[in-house]
Amino acid sequence: MSGLSPNEKKMSGSATNIPIRRVVLNDPSAMPADYSTTPGGTLFSTTPGGTRIIYDRAFLMQCRNSPLTKSPPPNLPRIPGVTCPEEKAAPQENGHGRPPAPQKPPQNKNENGDEPQFEMDI
Amino acid sequence: MKMLLNPARYRLESSPVPDQQQEEDEILGEVSIPDPELLIKHPLHNRWALWYFKNDKTKDWHANLKVVTAFDTVEDFWALYNHVLPASKIAPGCDYSLFKDGIQPMWEDERNKRGGRWLINLNKRQRNMELDSFWLETLLCLIGEAFEEQSDDVCGAVVNIRNKGDKLSIWTHDATRNEATMRVGRTLKDRLNIPRDITIGFQAHSDTMTKAGSTAKNRFVV
Repeated sequence: MSGLSPNEKKMSGSATNIPIRRVVLNDPSAMPADYSTTPGGTLFSTTPGGTRIIYDRAFLMQCRNSPLTKSPPPNLPRIPGVTCPEEKAAPQENGHGRPPAPQKPPQNKNENGDEPQFEMDI
Repeated sequence: MKMLLNPARYRLESSPVPDQQQEEDEILGEVSIPDPELLIKHPLHNRWALWYFKNDKTKDWHANLKVVTAFDTVEDFWALYNHVLPASKIAPGCDYSLFKDGIQPMWEDERNKRGGRWLINLNKRQRNMELDSFWLETLLCLIGEAFEEQSDDVCGAVVNIRNKGDKLSIWTHDATRNEATMRVGRTLKDRLNIPRDITIGFQAHSDTMTKAGSTAKNRFVV
């Protein structure tokens, strides 16, 4: 990876194009079952002397609203104040319904134009 | 060595390449599936874990520290980020940390103990104005490997939410690596758009640990 000193890296710097392979699929069934795999194998980038996967800001931001980001991670723990709103009291006691007072409206949530935090969308 | 990733593009195609939309309609008929590009997760160079530290004084420091989730693709990062509260909304006394998987967000960790941190002190007003964008930008620098060759020097980042002023820091592995440390600091300052006339300092964890007060001396500034 980055075992080389900067000098060594410069010396090995003959430019090589990223290998690109186009894979033709004629039927959706040829798509890999796994989202993280691309047809014909996954090859993102190769650099001389090693590989580092670098994403610039624009690309990362562009992925923000991908359909794959709309649901929380499947194993996301329930942490009040982090992954769900802070709760003042246990919401559902046996025999009682919800506390009569409606929960405080979430404050300032959309103020900065962010998406609602806990939206689920399947 | 440095290389911006131009994500490989794959799409469903029949042999000639006519108008893509029309072609997909023909192949797929009524069934509309999203562009496969949108269904492919983009792998990160490292696997990262988001940690949450809760300020519960009835518990031991270690017991208050929890992994929220680990991830290793761009999309899984956003799935997490989009479903946790932003840093400005977690309770005072609490922290978020993002560290490479396997490194605990504490000085004692083998990969941290000889290291240090670039520290950005924020004033109270900045919690509403800048904290969230600074933290997000820092996260994007980490997962996108924005420090390039120095990315291997970086262990993670921490944001401390404190009433007396929030703190954001990038932690590195070895405080004696002068050049690498300086480059990390310059990149951070640049990416956060910190004005030239404001300096940020780097402190070795060993100095912070032995210092009684909250201010260890700066080994470097940018």
